[in-house]
Amino acid sequence: MAAIRELGHCVVLAGPGSGKTKTLTSAMVRALRDDVLDPRGVACITYSNECAIELETRLQTFGIAPGDRAFVGTVHGFALSQILMPYARCVPIGLPQNFRLATKTEISAAVVVAYNNAINGRDDPQDRWKFATTKRKRDVDRSRPEWYGTNVELAKFIEAYESELRRQGLIDYDDMPLMAFRMLKEHGWIREAIRARYPILFVDEYQDLGHALHELVLLLCFGSGMRLFAVGDVDQSIYGFAGANGDLLEGLTTRGDVRTIRLRFNYRSGAKIIRASLGALGEHRDYQGITGAPDGELSFFPVPYGLDYQAETIASSIVPRLLAKNFAPDEIAVLYRDRWQGDRVAEALKSANIPFVRTDPQALVRRNSRLSRLIEASARWVTGGWRDADPTYARLLSQAISLVFGRRISEPLEQQFSTNFMVFLGGSVGTNESTNAWLRRYSKELIEPWRATARNPEQDWDVCAEMIANTDPAVGLDLALRYFAGRIEGAGRVTLTTMHSAKGREFDAVIMYGVNAHDLPSRRDQQSPTALRDARRSFYVGVTRPRKELCLVYQEHHHSPWIAELAQKMNDV
Amino acid sequence: MRLSKLSVRNFRNFKAIDIPLSGNVVLLGENAIGKSNLLFAIQLILDPMLPDAARQLRLSDFFDANPPNYDQPIEVSLEISDFDTDPALNALLTDFRTPTDPMVARLTYLYRKKADVAGPVRTSEDCEFVLYGGGDESRGIPGKVRRRIAIDVLDALRDAEGQLGSWRSSPLRHLLEEAVAAIDPVDISKVSAELAAATTTLETFPAIRTLENALRADILHLAGKADIDARLRFAPTDPLRLFRAIAMFIDGGKRGISEASLGSANVALIALKLAEFAWRRRKNERNFSLLCIEEPEAHLHPQLQRSVFKKLFDNNDATQALIVTSHSPTLAAVAPLRSIILLKTDRTSTYARSLADLPVTADELDDLEHYLDATRAELLFARGVIFVEGDAEEALFPIFAKSLGHSLDDIGITVCNVAGTNFRPYVKLAAALNLPFSIVTDWDPQVDGSALGRKRILDIYRDYLQVTRAAPVSPALWQQWEAADFTGFSNAFASLGAFLNDHTFEVSIANTPTLKNPLLDVLEAQGFGSTRTGRLKAWRSGIPVDAVQLLAMIADIGKGRLSAKLAKKAGGLAPPDYIARAIKFVVDRVQ
Repeated sequence: MAAIRELGHCVVLAGPGSGKTKTLTSAMVRALRDDVLDPRGVACITYSNECAIELETRLQTFGIAPGDRAFVGTVHGFALSQILMPYARCVPIGLPQNFRLATKTEISAAVVVAYNNAINGRDDPQDRWKFATTKRKRDVDRSRPEWYGTNVELAKFIEAYESELRRQGLIDYDDMPLMAFRMLKEHGWIREAIRARYPILFVDEYQDLGHALHELVLLLCFGSGMRLFAVGDVDQSIYGFAGANGDLLEGLTTRGDVRTIRLRFNYRSGAKIIRASLGALGEHRDYQGITGAPDGELSFFPVPYGLDYQAETIASSIVPRLLAKNFAPDEIAVLYRDRWQGDRVAEALKSANIPFVRTDPQALVRRNSRLSRLIEASARWVTGGWRDADPTYARLLSQAISLVFGRRISEPLEQQFSTNFMVFLGGSVGTNESTNAWLRRYSKELIEPWRATARNPEQDWDVCAEMIANTDPAVGLDLALRYFAGRIEGAGRVTLTTMHSAKGREFDAVIMYGVNAHDLPSRRDQQSPTALRDARRSFYVGVTRPRKELCLVYQEHHHSPWIAELAQKMNDV
Repeated sequence: MRLSKLSVRNFRNFKAIDIPLSGNVVLLGENAIGKSNLLFAIQLILDPMLPDAARQLRLSDFFDANPPNYDQPIEVSLEISDFDTDPALNALLTDFRTPTDPMVARLTYLYRKKADVAGPVRTSEDCEFVLYGGGDESRGIPGKVRRRIAIDVLDALRDAEGQLGSWRSSPLRHLLEEAVAAIDPVDISKVSAELAAATTTLETFPAIRTLENALRADILHLAGKADIDARLRFAPTDPLRLFRAIAMFIDGGKRGISEASLGSANVALIALKLAEFAWRRRKNERNFSLLCIEEPEAHLHPQLQRSVFKKLFDNNDATQALIVTSHSPTLAAVAPLRSIILLKTDRTSTYARSLADLPVTADELDDLEHYLDATRAELLFARGVIFVEGDAEEALFPIFAKSLGHSLDDIGITVCNVAGTNFRPYVKLAAALNLPFSIVTDWDPQVDGSALGRKRILDIYRDYLQVTRAAPVSPALWQQWEAADFTGFSNAFASLGAFLNDHTFEVSIANTPTLKNPLLDVLEAQGFGSTRTGRLKAWRSGIPVDAVQLLAMIADIGKGRLSAKLAKKAGGLAPPDYIARAIKFVVDRVQ
C-alpha cells in the first residue's frame, strides 16, 4: 500500500504470491487517476508479451484502454514503438523510413559477411557470433571504454554486422533497445519527449530484463527525471541465458534516491509449501504465509521407472486423484523443465482422455505472441464472444491495428481496416469449419493483406502458418473451433507448461514432472554456475506456483538432489 | 508553444503560399483578399467544433485557376515550434515532429482525389480529406489534439449580446457553474425561496394575474388539451436552474449588457472568452487556446481597439495565442511587428508577406514599431514608398509629385521620413512587404575622399538582397561599386531605386531656379515679422538660402498648409532631376 503511494523512485521486491502484479496494477491505476494529467500517461515495460497482455487485461477492468495513455509492452516493443518508429527518421542513425526486422537467414548471412570483413579467421562465424552477442547485450553504452577495451575484435565484428544489416535497411531484435539507447543518449529532446508522454516508468519483473533495459532506466529515470516504479524478485531471475541479471535489480535497491519496499507475505500458498519452496531455492528468505491460511499439502510420487512411466502415473493416478479431491481441471498444472518432456505428458493425458492445454512454447496458441493471442481471441469472438462482447470487438480491432501498424492510424484507414476485419469475423459467426479450415481462411483473408501493408517491423507473421501446421487434419491434429477457442463443454482443461513459462501464473494444484537426478539439474545445467543457478531458480518458480497442493513426481532412488532439501525444510517450523 | 509556419496549396484564393509566423498573427489585407479563407484553413486542422461534413470540402474550394486542378490536392500545413517546454503539449505533438527538424511539429490537412477514382474528378464525392502529422500520412491526428489545442473563432463579435444572452453559448456558463457548485445547497435554497416569495408577491398584483391568465388561456386554446402551465416569473424556482438566470449587468446593475454600447459588449465578450480559456486549462480540458477575432474594428471604436489589443498582444501567456484579421490602421499600429501578415494579390492569386522573420535587431524592431505607431501604420497599407532623410523632403515630395502630374495619396505612395540616414530597418521592412520603393539620400563626401552615401547604399543593398533572398552580386561588380565616383555610382544605383544628391536637399531646392521663387511667394504671403520678411527679400535677391531658417518658416506654416498652397502653383514647381527620377521610379512600379 505504501508502494502505490510512493512519489519518488520506488523498487518493490516481491516474493512469490505476494501480489506483485496487483501492486503494479494498482500503482498504475492510481498514477493515471491522481498523479499524471491527461494527455500525459504512464509506460509499463514487462519481460514478455504474455505479461503485457495479462497486465492490459487487468488494466481494462479499471477502464484503462491500452494505447491511449498507458503503454504496456516489452522493452523491445517500447524501443520500437516509442523511440525508433517515431524518431529514427529525425536523427542520423542510419535507418531508412521503411526499415524492417531481419529474418533468420538474413541474420546469419550478415554474420558471415561481418566475420569475413572484421575477423576473417578460421572459426565458424556463427560460433563466434554467440560470444559477440553476449558482449553486445552487456556493453550497451558503447561510448564507455569497455566497448573496445575488453575485446576489440568482437567489438569490430559487432559493428561490421550492424553496418551490414543497416546497409540493407534491416534491424535485428537486439538492435531495438540498443539503438533506442543511443538515440536517447545523444538527443535530449527525445528523452524530453518520452518524459513528457510518460512521466512515470513502470517495470515488471525487473530481474529478467537485462542490461539494455537497465541502461534505459538509468538514462531516463536517473538522468532525465522520469519516475521509476520497478517490481521484481531476484530469486525468480531465470533468463540469465538471455542476458538478464538479477544483480542489476539489487543494485537499484542500494541507491540513496530509491525507496525499496519488500513484500514478505505470501498470499498464495499454504505455509508448508512456502517452507518447502525455500528448500527448493536453497537460500533463506523471511517469507511468511498469512495467519489462519491452510497449511497446504505436499505429496511425493516416487515411480519405479523413467520419464514415460512417470507421465503415465500422472495421467492414470495423480490427475484423477486431484480431480477426486474436487480440484477443477483448469486449476491443475503439470510443470516440466523442457518442452520435449511436455510431449510425453501430452501423449499420456491424451490416451487417458484428459483434456489439456499446453501453454509452453510448443503450445498451439503461443502465449508470448500477440498475433497468436489475437487469433485465439478472434476465435473466441466468432464462437460466441460476439453475443456477450467477450472479447469486445473494439479490443480485437485495436490489437489488430497495433499489430499491423504499430501505432495510431488515420480515421479513413481505420474504417477500411475495420470493414475488412469485420467482414471476416462476422462471416465466421456460426461457421461449421474446423480450426484448421478457419485458420487457413484467417491466413488467406486477413494475415496476407495485413502482412502486405504492415508497417510494424516487429511482427511474427509466421505464427499463423505454424498454427495451421499444428492443426493438420492429415496427422489427426485438427480440432473443433469451439475447442480451440477454449469454449468447451464440461469443466475445462489441465494446463501443461514448462517451469519457465509458468512464471507469473498460479494454480490450486501443481504436478512437477521428472524431478529426477539427471533431469533437474540436467547435464547441460551443470555446465556453468550461471546455468545451474538458473535451473534451480526455475525449480523454485515451479514450486511456488500452487496454492494448495504440490505433487512431485520422480524416479524412485533417482530423485533430484533438490528434493531432499525441500523435504527437509518442509517440516521445519 | 508557438505557431511558426502556415502553408496553403491550391485552396480558394491561394495557389501556393508559405507564411512564416511568430506566435500571434495579425492578418492585414483588403476586403475579399482571403483573410477569412486563411482562418478557415487553420480551422480545418485545429477547430474541434468543425464537423467532418465541413472538412469534406467542395470542388469550388480548389484554387480558382482556369481550369481548376483537381488532381493536385488542397493542402494546409501548420507548423508548431517551442512545444517541448510544456510536457502536455510535447506529449500531444511529439509524434508529429518533422524529419528535417525535430524541434518543429507539422499538422497537415489534405483534400484530394480518392485513390480508387479512375477518371477525372467530377464531384466532391470523388475526393476525400485526411488529417495527419509529421508529413507522414500514417500518423493520423487524433481528435484529442484538436480538443486540447483548439481554435475558437469569434466571428460572433457581430452578435456579442446574442452570445452573452444565450445560456448554451455564453462563455459565462462554465464559470458560473463552477462558482455555483461551491455554494452550499442550503444557501441556494434560501435564495430560491426568497425569489419564490417575490414571485408570489408579483402574482398578487391583479394586473399581472390578469395578464398571466390571459396568456395561459391563449396558449391552452392553441394547444388543445395539453396545458404547459405557463407562468410569469423572475427566474425558475428550481434551485439547480436558478443560477442560469444570473446575467451580467452594467452601470451598477441598472442596465443589461445588451443595452451597453456595441463596443463594451464586445470587450466583455472577449474578456469572458479569455476567462473561459483559463478555466478550461484549470480543468485540464485544454492545453492551448488559439483565439481568432475577425475584423474587430467593425465593432470597436478606435480607442477601444488600441487599448484592448495593446493588452492582448502584450499578454505573454505561453498557452494562448491570438489571430486577428483586420484592415484597421489603428489596430495594425499597435500590433507587434513580427505578428503582421500582409495579404496582397497579384491579380491571379493571393500571396502573403510575413514580418515574422524580418532580419532586424531588437533596437531596430523598436524603432520600426514606434514609427508605425506614430504614422498609424501607413507604410503597411501603402502600395509604394519613397524613403527620405528629413522633414523638408517629407513636406515637399508630395508637392513635387503633383507638379509631375501624380497624386501620391491617390496612388497610395507614402513618403517615409527616417529622420536621419539610418534607412536600413525601414528598407528591410519595405523589401519584406514587397513594396516598390526608392531612396533619396545625400552623397555626403568626406575629406578623405570617401563618401558616407556610398557605404550607406551598399549596406542597404546587402540587406535588400538578404530579405528578398535574391541571388548575390558578383564580387567584381561589388568592387566596381566600391571604387565608383559620384556619377558612376549614382547612375548604377538609379536603376536599383537609390537616388543620390551630391549636396544637401535644402541647397538643392534653393539652387533649383524654378522652385525658389514660388516657394518664396508662398512664404511671403504669410505676413511674417520684419526679420523673416527681410530674409525672404535677401534670398530673392540672390543671397544663398539659409536652410535652417527656411525649415523653421515651413514648420510655422505647417506642412499641410504649405503643401496645399504650393500645390496651387504646381505647374511651375519641377523638382531637381534626381528627385523627379526617384518619384517616377516608384510611380512606374505601382501603376
